[in-house]
Amino acid sequence: MRKYLVLLILAALTGLLVLPVSAQEALPDWIEHSACEVDLTGSTIPIIHFGDISGSFAFITQPLLVGFADAIDYFNARGGICGATMIQDNRDTGGDLSQTQAAYDDYSSREPKPSMMVLYASADAELLREQLIEDGIPALISAGSVEGLYGEDGQSPGWIYAANPLYVDQFGNFCEYIGANAEQFPAPVVGYISWPGAFGEAAFTPEAIAYCAAQGVTVLPENESFLPISTDITTQVQNLVDQGATILYTNTLASGPVAVARAVVDLGLEDTVQIAGVNWTLDTSVGLLSRTVIGADGLPAVDGLIGSMPFRWWTERDQPGIQLITEVADSKEPPLEPQNRNIAYLLGWSIVDLYVEIYTQTANRVGGLDAIDGAAVNETLSNFSYSPLGLYDLNFADGVRDAVTNRIAIMRFANADMSGVATSGSDALTLPLADGTTAFLPIVVPVTEFEETPDLRPGGADVP
Amino acid sequence: MSANIRPSGVFDTSYGQDISINRTRGDKWLSNGLLIALLLVPLLTAEGPLGISLVPQLWIGLIIRIAIFAIAVQGLNILIGYTGQISLGHAAFMAVGAYTSAILARELGMSFWLALPLSALFTGGVGLIFGLPSLRVKGFYLAMATLAAQFIIPWILRYPLEGITGGSRPLEVPAPSLFGLSFAHENAMFYIIIPLAVIMALAARNIARTRVGRAFVSVRDNDLAAELLGINVFSYKLQAFFLSALYAGVAGCLLAFESNSLSLDKFLLDRSIEMLAMLVIGGAGFPLGPLFGVAFVNLLTQNIIPSIIPSVKGVLPSLFPFLNPINVDAALSPLLFGLALMVFLIIAPRGLAHRWEILKISWKLRPYSH
Amino acid sequence: MASLVKQNQKIITPLLWIIGLIVLVALFAPAIAEQRPARLVQSGITGLLVGGVYSLIALGIVIINKASGVFNFAHGWMMLFGGFMFYSFFSVANISPFAAGGLALLTVLLAVTMVGALRALRDGRTLLVAAAAVVGVTLLLLVPIPMLRGVVGAICGGALIGLAVERFAIRPLIGQPLFAMVLMTLAASELLQGITQMIWGSVELPLAVFSPLREMGIPTPFRFEGTGAFEGTIIVRTELLAAFILALLSFAAFVAFFRFTSVGLAMRATAENQKLAQAVGLRVRVILGVAWAIAAVLAAVAGILQGGATSLSLNLPLLALRAFPAVLLGGLESVPGALVGGLVIGLVQEYANLLFPGTQAGTELAPYVLLMIVLVIRPDGLFGQKRIERI
Repeated sequence: MRKYLVLLILAALTGLLVLPVSAQEALPDWIEHSACEVDLTGSTIPIIHFGDISGSFAFITQPLLVGFADAIDYFNARGGICGATMIQDNRDTGGDLSQTQAAYDDYSSREPKPSMMVLYASADAELLREQLIEDGIPALISAGSVEGLYGEDGQSPGWIYAANPLYVDQFGNFCEYIGANAEQFPAPVVGYISWPGAFGEAAFTPEAIAYCAAQGVTVLPENESFLPISTDITTQVQNLVDQGATILYTNTLASGPVAVARAVVDLGLEDTVQIAGVNWTLDTSVGLLSRTVIGADGLPAVDGLIGSMPFRWWTERDQPGIQLITEVADSKEPPLEPQNRNIAYLLGWSIVDLYVEIYTQTANRVGGLDAIDGAAVNETLSNFSYSPLGLYDLNFADGVRDAVTNRIAIMRFANADMSGVATSGSDALTLPLADGTTAFLPIVVPVTEFEETPDLRPGGADVP
Repeated sequence: MSANIRPSGVFDTSYGQDISINRTRGDKWLSNGLLIALLLVPLLTAEGPLGISLVPQLWIGLIIRIAIFAIAVQGLNILIGYTGQISLGHAAFMAVGAYTSAILARELGMSFWLALPLSALFTGGVGLIFGLPSLRVKGFYLAMATLAAQFIIPWILRYPLEGITGGSRPLEVPAPSLFGLSFAHENAMFYIIIPLAVIMALAARNIARTRVGRAFVSVRDNDLAAELLGINVFSYKLQAFFLSALYAGVAGCLLAFESNSLSLDKFLLDRSIEMLAMLVIGGAGFPLGPLFGVAFVNLLTQNIIPSIIPSVKGVLPSLFPFLNPINVDAALSPLLFGLALMVFLIIAPRGLAHRWEILKISWKLRPYSH
Repeated sequence: MASLVKQNQKIITPLLWIIGLIVLVALFAPAIAEQRPARLVQSGITGLLVGGVYSLIALGIVIINKASGVFNFAHGWMMLFGGFMFYSFFSVANISPFAAGGLALLTVLLAVTMVGALRALRDGRTLLVAAAAVVGVTLLLLVPIPMLRGVVGAICGGALIGLAVERFAIRPLIGQPLFAMVLMTLAASELLQGITQMIWGSVELPLAVFSPLREMGIPTPFRFEGTGAFEGTIIVRTELLAAFILALLSFAAFVAFFRFTSVGLAMRATAENQKLAQAVGLRVRVILGVAWAIAAVLAAVAGILQGGATSLSLNLPLLALRAFPAVLLGGLESVPGALVGGLVIGLVQEYANLLFPGTQAGTELAPYVLLMIVLVIRPDGLFGQKRIERI
C-alpha cells in the first residue's frame, strides 16, 4: 500500500515539475489582442456566469458552458490574459428569478468585488439592471431586451452589454429585408407568434410595428402565444393565417420554431406561409429537433426558415475564428457532439476572447490587476470596439449597449456531397443517428451582408 | 401546550403576566436584545456609515429576503396553519400587492407609506374573492381552486391590464423616501422591512391568541363541530383568506419597492409551492414556523447547497464514470435540495418549530424533565 | 317558500343546470357563429387528441390519490423519467449488460421486498423466482428489438421509481400530517429532476417512436379538404392520433385490471378503507406499492406518448400541471372522471384558443375558470366521491 502511495506522490511530483516546462503555445497572429503592457502572471481572473443551467431552457446553456471551458483552456494555454489565468465560475439559477438574485448577491458581495460578470436571460438582465449600476459591476449578455439594456424609456444605457442586436431591432431589420424583396414577398402580412414572457414578447412593440408598416410590411395587431409544452399549436397558427398572415415571426428558441413549423407543414401551408424568427431560431438545436417533422419536399419543416444571424456561423469555414473553433472541437476527445455545435458554443468562445481583450485594455490603462474594478472595466467597455475572434463586431461607443450589425439568413440543409443546399429530401445529406433516426445537416445561408440595424428603442432614431 | 410551561419557581401573579408573550425577564431581554442586535447589523457592513466590514454585505440582502418571505409565509400560516385551508395561490396575491403598490406609486405618484396599506387592503379584498369557494370546497379541491387564482391573477395582470402593468415587460418602481430621505440603498430598506416584519409577526401571534384565532383553530380541527358550537365558519374562513392575502400584499409591496423592479416572473406557481414548502418545513400552526421555514429554505438553496456543489461536483464523475460532468453540474442543485427536503421531512415531519418547542420545554424544565 | 324549494329540489337543480348552460351558450354563441365551421371541427379534434394524454396523466394521479390519499406532485417528473428510460433502451444501439442487469436487479429487489425488509429473500422459493425474474428481465432488455426493449425498459424504470418513492418517501410518513406527505412528493420531484438531469442532461430529444408510422406509408398528418359549409383544411395529426389511441388503450387496460384481477379488486378494497382491508387479510403495503408502481408506469406511458408527439425535454413535467384541473374536474377518486376531465380540459383549452385569439386564454385561463365554476357547483368534482362528514 505504502509503496503505491510513494509511487503516486512521485508521479504527481514529476507531473508538477514537467508541467511548467512544457512550452507555451502562441496565439495565431490573426487574433489581434492589445499588446500587454503589464504582466499579470500568477493571478487569476474568474469568468463569473450565472444562469439557467437546470431550468426550462437549459439545452441552450449547456453548450455555452462547454464553450467557456474549451475556450478558457485554449487561451490559458496560450498566455491567458497577460499571464493571468482565467477560471470558470458558474452557478445554476434554474431560471428562477429569486435564485438569480441570490446568485447575484453572492457574487457581488465577494471580496474583491467582481469587475465583470456574464448574464444569461432577458429577464435576468431586467432584474439586475439597476443593481449592477448601483454596485458598479458591468456585465456581458447575449440577450437583447430593450428594458434590460436601456431601461424602461429605452434611452438610459445601463452597465449591461449585449453581444447580439436588440430583439426589436432584429425584427425591424427583418421587415426591412421583406420590404426590400417585394417580388418574393408580395403584400407581406406578419403574424407574431411566440412564447409569453420577457424574451418571447420582446420584439412585439409599437415601435417595431410602426417601423414595419413604414417598410410596407403589415404586422397583425394581435399576437398569438404558446407555451414550450404546448402539444399542438394548430389553432394559434390558423388564427393568424385566417387574419391574412403570410409570414409567421417567432421570438423563441429550440422547440419553439419547430412547433410553429410543424403546424405550418401539417396544415399544408409551407408554400404560402414563410416562417421567420429571432437569431436563436437559426440554430443547430432547431435543425436537429425538427428531424422528425418532415415537410412535403422530404426536408425538415424548418427548411427555408428566415432569421437574423448576427454572428459568423459554423459553415463559414474560411473565417479564421470558425476555423480555430472547429479545429478545437474536432480535436476534443471525444469530438464535440453535433448538438453542442450550436450558437451558444460559439458565443462561449467569443465571450472568453472578449474577456481577454477587455481585461488587457483595462489593465494597460490602470496598470495592474489590483486597480481593476467594475468602474474601470465599464470605462473600457463604454468605448469599446472589437470583433471577438471575428465572429461579430461590437462597437459600444456613444451609449450603445448592443451589437448593432445584423444580417438576414436562411436555414437550409446540406445536400448529399455537401457542395451546397439540398433541394428535396432525396438529395439531402442524412446522418444516421444512434437512436435509429436520421439527422439532416442544418446549414445557415446568409442572404444579406452585415448591416446596421434600425434603432427601434422607444424614442429611437429610426422610429417613424 | 408549551405556552404554559415555565421554569419551576416562576409564577404568574397578574393577568398581564399571564397573557404576556415574554413570560420571564430572561425571555424579554433575549427577544429585545435579538431585535436590537438585528437592527445594528447594517451599521457594521462595508457600505454602512461606519465603514467597518464586520458583517458581509451579503447578509443584508439575505436577511431582507428572509424577512419579506417570512411576512408572506406568516399569512399562509394564518390560512393553513391555523384555519386549515390550503392555498396554492399565495404568490399571485403577492403579485397583486406588488403591482397595486407599484401602480399607485407610478401612476398616482402616491408615496410608499400610503401605497403600502392601500395595496395590502386591496390584496385582502382580492383574497376574499378567491376565498369564496371555501364555502363549499375543501381539502385538495380548495387547493386547486386557489391554484386557479395562481393562473387567473397573473393572466389578468398580463393581458387585460397590460396598459398599466406593462404586461410581460418589467416595471420600474421608485424607491421609497421619507422627509427627503431616500431609502434606495438596501441598508436603508432594511430599516423599513425589519420593523414591519416584526410588527406583522407580533400581529399574527396575537391574532392567534384572540377569539378570532381560536375560532380559526376550531375551524381547522373540525369545521362541522365548530359550526355546531355557533361559530360562523364561512365568515371566519373568509377572514382567514382576507388576513392571509393582506400579509401577502404587504410582502409583495415590500418586494416591489426593495428591488425597484417588478416582473410577473417573480410570482409564478413555483413561488407559491415554495412558500407552502417553507411553511411545512418551519411548522404549520406554530408562530415561529414561518421564520424557521423561510430561513431554512433560503439558507439551504442559496448558501448551503451552492457551497457544497463545487466539492461534490468533482467527486461524482470520478465515482460514476458514465456521468457527464456538465450534467452533474446542472443536476446537483435540484438533487441536493430534494434530498435534503426528504431527509428533513422524515426526521421532522411536523416542522422545525415543533422541534424547537420540544427543545424549549426540555430546556425550561431542566434538570427535571418530567 | 323554503319548503316549496325543498320539495321541488329534483326539478329545480336540473333546471338551474339547463339555465346555466343556455346562458353559457348565449354568451359564446356570437363568437362561435363568427367562426368557420371547419375551424370549430378542427379545434374539437385537436382538443380531444390533446386531452387524451391529459386523461392518462390524470389517471395516474387519481390512482395514487385513491391508494395513498396523496396528491402526487412528482407525477410530471415520473413522466419524464419514464420517457427517458424508454429513449435509452429504444434508441441506444448497444445496451451495456451491466446497466440492463442493474436495472432489472433493482426493480425486482424493490418489488420482492415490498412486504417487509429482506425477510422475503430468506425464503428459498421467492429467491429463486426473484433470480429468474432478474435474468428474464435482463435478457428482455438486451433483445435487439428496439420497441420491445424500450417498452420493457420504461416499465422497469417506471415501476422502479414508483416503488422507490412509495418505499423511501411516502411510507416513512404514514401517520404524519398530510402536508408533510404532499411536500414529500414535491421533494421527490426535485430529486427526480436531479437524477434525470444527471443521467440524461438537459438536452431536448425528439423521440422517434411514431416515425415507423410514416415509413409504413400512413400519411402524416391526415388532411381533409372540406367543401361547402366546411370550407377549409382539417388535419388530424397522426402522432397525436396514435398517442390518443394508445392512451385510451392504456386507460382501458388499467380499468380492466382494476375490475377483473384479484390485485385490482384488492386495490379497490384498500382504496375504500385501508383499515378494513387490512382486517380482512389484504396486504395493504403490497397494494400501496403496486398502486404506485402502476401509476408510475402510466406516467411513463404518458411521457413516451407526449415525447413522441413533441419531444422529450425538461419542460415536459409542466404538462402534469396542465392535467391538474382535469383531475379535480373529474373528481379526485374517480377513474372515469379522469377520462372525462382530461378530454374536457383539452377541448376547453382549444376552443378558448380559437375564440379568444391572442390572449393565451386557452392554456392559462380557461381550464381554471371552468374548474372554479364546476367546483362551486359540485365541490367534489363531476364524478368525485361525496364526502359524508361526521363529528
